[in-house]
Amino acid sequence: MAIEPNKTYSEGDLEHLSDLEHVRERPSMYIGDTTVRGLHHLVYEVVDNSIDEAMAGFASDVTVIINPDDSITVEDNGRGIPVERHTQLSEQMDREVSTLEGVMTVLKFGGKFTKGAYQTSGGLHGVGVTVVNFLSEWAEVEVFRDGAVHHQEYERGVPKGPIRRVGKSDKQGTKTTFKADPQIFQVTKYSYSTLVKRLQELAFLNRGVRITITDGRNNESETFQYEDGIREFVVHLNRASEQVHPEVLYVSGEQDGVELEVALQYSGEYTENVHTYVNNINTHEGGTHLSGFRAALTRTLNNYGKKENLFKDLAPTGEDFREGLTAVISCRVPHPQFEGQTKTKLGNGEVEGIVNTLFGEYLQKHLEENPKTAKAILRKGLVAAEARESARKARQLIRERKGALGGGSLPGKLRDCSSKEVDKCELYLVEGDSAGGPAEGGRRREFQAILPLRGKIINAYKSREDKVLANEEIRSMIAAIGAGIGAEQDVGKRRYGRVVIMTDADVDGSHIRTLLLTFFYRQMYDLVARGHVYVAQPPLFRVRRGKSPARYVQTEEEMRSELLSLGLGESVLEAEGGVSVEGEAMAKLVHTLAAMEDSLLQLERRGVSLKIHAERQDPTSGKLPVYHVFFGMEENWFISRQEVDEYIRQTEERVGDELVVEFGVAAIGPQDIEDARNGEASGAADAAAKKRLRVIELHEVRTINTLIGDLSQMGFEIDSLIPQERTGEETSRYVIRRGENESGIDDLRGLPAAIRAAGERGLQIIRFKGLGEMNAEELRDTTLDPAARTLLRVTMDDAAAADELFRILMGDQVEPRREFIQKHALDVKNLDV
Amino acid sequence: MRCPLCEKEFDPAESKAMPFCSDRCKTIDLGRWLDEGYSMPQDADPDSDAANDWPFSLS
Repeated sequence: MAIEPNKTYSEGDLEHLSDLEHVRERPSMYIGDTTVRGLHHLVYEVVDNSIDEAMAGFASDVTVIINPDDSITVEDNGRGIPVERHTQLSEQMDREVSTLEGVMTVLKFGGKFTKGAYQTSGGLHGVGVTVVNFLSEWAEVEVFRDGAVHHQEYERGVPKGPIRRVGKSDKQGTKTTFKADPQIFQVTKYSYSTLVKRLQELAFLNRGVRITITDGRNNESETFQYEDGIREFVVHLNRASEQVHPEVLYVSGEQDGVELEVALQYSGEYTENVHTYVNNINTHEGGTHLSGFRAALTRTLNNYGKKENLFKDLAPTGEDFREGLTAVISCRVPHPQFEGQTKTKLGNGEVEGIVNTLFGEYLQKHLEENPKTAKAILRKGLVAAEARESARKARQLIRERKGALGGGSLPGKLRDCSSKEVDKCELYLVEGDSAGGPAEGGRRREFQAILPLRGKIINAYKSREDKVLANEEIRSMIAAIGAGIGAEQDVGKRRYGRVVIMTDADVDGSHIRTLLLTFFYRQMYDLVARGHVYVAQPPLFRVRRGKSPARYVQTEEEMRSELLSLGLGESVLEAEGGVSVEGEAMAKLVHTLAAMEDSLLQLERRGVSLKIHAERQDPTSGKLPVYHVFFGMEENWFISRQEVDEYIRQTEERVGDELVVEFGVAAIGPQDIEDARNGEASGAADAAAKKRLRVIELHEVRTINTLIGDLSQMGFEIDSLIPQERTGEETSRYVIRRGENESGIDDLRGLPAAIRAAGERGLQIIRFKGLGEMNAEELRDTTLDPAARTLLRVTMDDAAAADELFRILMGDQVEPRREFIQKHALDVKNLDV
Repeated sequence: MRCPLCEKEFDPAESKAMPFCSDRCKTIDLGRWLDEGYSMPQDADPDSDAANDWPFSLS
């Protein structure tokens, strides 16, 4: 039965036709625009109906198919749109009209406006599928309901005939197919990936619903279903990022008919990634739900930070707390009001307070119950605040430098050189004000500039005094070097060809040097990379014999070995039993003993005396044990790793279980051994502790063992190093004879010192405690004069090593610092860069 | 390569803020220098005292 428009013309139809004309003439009023955006919007309108059916609990599956002819099919397994005669409509139109036909052809008709049919629903304010139909070249609907299939077709919004029953079916649901009208739309080709993105989003927002999309043009297909809803959305959004805390925070609640769901997790990124939805609509412009969320987030995190005393110098702002924040906020609001340019900003005032309260209460509780997460989030906010502050300071510094006298004025402390030939010019960064004077007096004014720097003492930690480069000193350096800082840096603008770091040859000096090198490496990278940074080598000793001219010695090692050579001369060692050592043999003996000095000192610093350790000597190999092994109340010493491994194997056999074996390097000082002992003893009650075995290695004993071997070949055993009880003896155990002079020593450990003392005779040796103890002439002759000085060019590796050392030494963390010192325990000099 | 500030591994070829992974880290670092936030312990390690003993002949 076809409808003949003329015969059925009525008042109702007039209104209906005018609606259709209105939509087709002004489509943008209904779907935003007629570009590719509006085109895809058609699909979303139809899908929204199916989602509503699913959220009401009547459908579980939604399928979308892009057909090869650019039409779209959307199918769900819901109840199916009712197909019976609709009384109100039929009366209005004065003909038989089904509910389905009403849904498809009458604006503002449908379940969304019927109180109670759907609590809340998405879609463009209910214009829904009617508009899609009006804007389609053709459309057809199949309803599977009550064991039958019902079918109706439309052309540009007008039914081509009444609804017809076309067969039996045991399926349930609605299947809508439509082809966007090319008379309306600029494009009618759908993008698979655009649809995928929105459908996946819908699957996240409507947990449990299974959404399948198939591209009939190439048979690509994907299915989305998320039992955990927006929690999985957050995981998905953070999939490529590092997580600040492991769990996704999630809360859901309902108040005054408004349903709320929030999920969030911080990532290592710096941007804010917050998605907000109202009734499944992406509220790009935010609105009251977002402002309520933000207010609660800022307030709650701030309160927590204050309560836990986490804010010291600066407190993060709300913006800082949103760095790296990934969140999804999904609300269901019965009567949403949308505002803004694209009508994607929620205007309902009551929602703000509801989100603020529900989310705020949840967040506070979660932070209190998960202090680890709380601290991680707060730390993230603090770093953001610091970044913001740092950027401000850097900008200010650059501005100041540009402001003053154009190009930045030179620091008052700088004693500049007169030459303007950059490559010839040198800037000496001199530690300490007292050294500034001599350096200024000893420099070549034409091309050597002096900038005195001072380390500033601060109380960094509870009981630790630290040295920093004062803000003023850093500014002076940047200004003097002239290459700028930060983003504005240009090595080409440097004022010197060489920047020379000159610090005292003591530990404090090496710390200042490390600070400076680290600063250059980090903030003037190119200056280092292009080889413009150097380290001066001031001498440590001045040596003079009688009236002869002074000589300078740079390091302690050189000085020691020089004194040893001088002292050896014609020295002869006489031991008990008529043994005497002289010449080559004497030199070899003294050098072997000298090589052992540091290692023996280190062993004793651990609280292990040589006398006691010697009793543990292996009688066959003559070696001392290197490994100290603790297990429960047992302590054992072993010479080699093989022996240790064998002991572990035997112990495991005895205990009948695998052991946790911890390898440690002994600390300097006896504390570590005490720790190992106490750890075992106090943990004895703990069953787990009984399975722990701790191995401590004494590195220096390896060196000692080698040298003991050498001594043995020269006829001296370990006893010769240990003082003996000599009460009642008239003579010394060993006698050193040097021409007329004769002196006695109790054990051979004292031999190198005695020889050095002999070498020192007749010399005037001055050890410079700092650069300030040198006069201008001395400084010139040793460190400034290009003809006499030694300059070390700082390589990238040197600077990176300084940076690493700096990180370890500056840190509040005791562990890495201790580890580092232990790692280099044998080579103490590594602590000086 | 490891960023001195955030300690994340990064590809030096990708960074325009060497030796940091990003401008942001470099800027934070500069802020710390200007704030006198970087310090070295005054108390030297135990070995340093020995080095300062003089004369050696007595050791």
